Amino acid sequence: MDRIRVWDLPTRLGHWLLAATFLVAWVTGDSETWRLVHVLAGGAFTGIVAFRVLWGIVGTRHARFTHFVRGPGAALAYLRGLLTGRAPHFTGHNPAGAYAVLALLSLGLLAGASGWLAYQELGGEWLEELHEGVVNAVLAVVLLHLAGVALGSLAHGENLARAMVTGWKRGTPGEAISGSRWPAALLLLPWVALAAWWMAR
Amino acid sequence: MKRPVLIALLLVSPALHAETPRQLLDTFSAEAARAQPGFAPSAQRGAALYRSAFKHSRAMPACTACHTDNPAAPGRHAVTGKAIGALAPHANAERFTDPAKVAKWFHRNCTEVVGRECSAAEKADFIQFMLERS
Repeated sequence: MDRIRVWDLPTRLGHWLLAATFLVAWVTGDSETWRLVHVLAGGAFTGIVAFRVLWGIVGTRHARFTHFVRGPGAALAYLRGLLTGRAPHFTGHNPAGAYAVLALLSLGLLAGASGWLAYQELGGEWLEELHEGVVNAVLAVVLLHLAGVALGSLAHGENLARAMVTGWKRGTPGEAISGSRWPAALLLLPWVALAAWWMAR
Repeated sequence: MKRPVLIALLLVSPALHAETPRQLLDTFSAEAARAQPGFAPSAQRGAALYRSAFKHSRAMPACTACHTDNPAAPGRHAVTGKAIGALAPHANAERFTDPAKVAKWFHRNCTEVVGRECSAAEKADFIQFMLERS
């Protein structure tokens, strides 16, 4: 198999910005001193999630939901394959990782919505409890995702984390995407800034 | 108790946990008296704590940085600028009625503003001061 371009720039930039904003929001969550930083990071995080949902519809082939989301049976078969050392290699997301993506995006939207409502004080203390619960669920999925990336990397002899940096992965030439879509990545940055500002206003 | 009843009670427990500021004050006073026999809460010590400039935090050197000099007046978050309801129960009936919320905010504000956890005696003094009508 060849090395081909698989992840476009908006997907990669969004991925790492999402990780960074989640980390910042996580460590500042319990502090009033860092409240504004927390809300800005949470706003940026939610903006990236919303962008990724849209990009899952209009993005390049390996970023599109219709391309990588398969039935639960496929995900279970892939996980079984990981345990027995016979997991098939996927050029884009594997079927189990696809569910991590869906879980992270839906929980991410819920985290943003509950955080916004709590910050606007549009609910009681229970809203903050809900927000914390949702964010803990996000962290749990992140940890599962990290374990999956480590296992998948070992199983396929392919550094999946590096692929998310460079965009290049193993695959057949016909599966390659045509370009990195840098204009959309350029749009992502002001959009994220807008989302952060909007959340904190 | 049957399990479904217990679960139902747990689900509505925030509502069941509502207390009066006086009950919370008594709880903290009792805890303080265990460490310090004869302890009686003091509004004066509470006021001193409230107005003390700890200067542990640059943005929030004292309670008054957000809650103003008058606990019965609405405040403003020193970092975000968001409005904060009055602290004193006679100005804001919700205050000091939810033990979980009280515990959360004493923890958060004591560690960030005072620079350490507050003692039960300090919490009792603080609530005693909040209950005073000036």
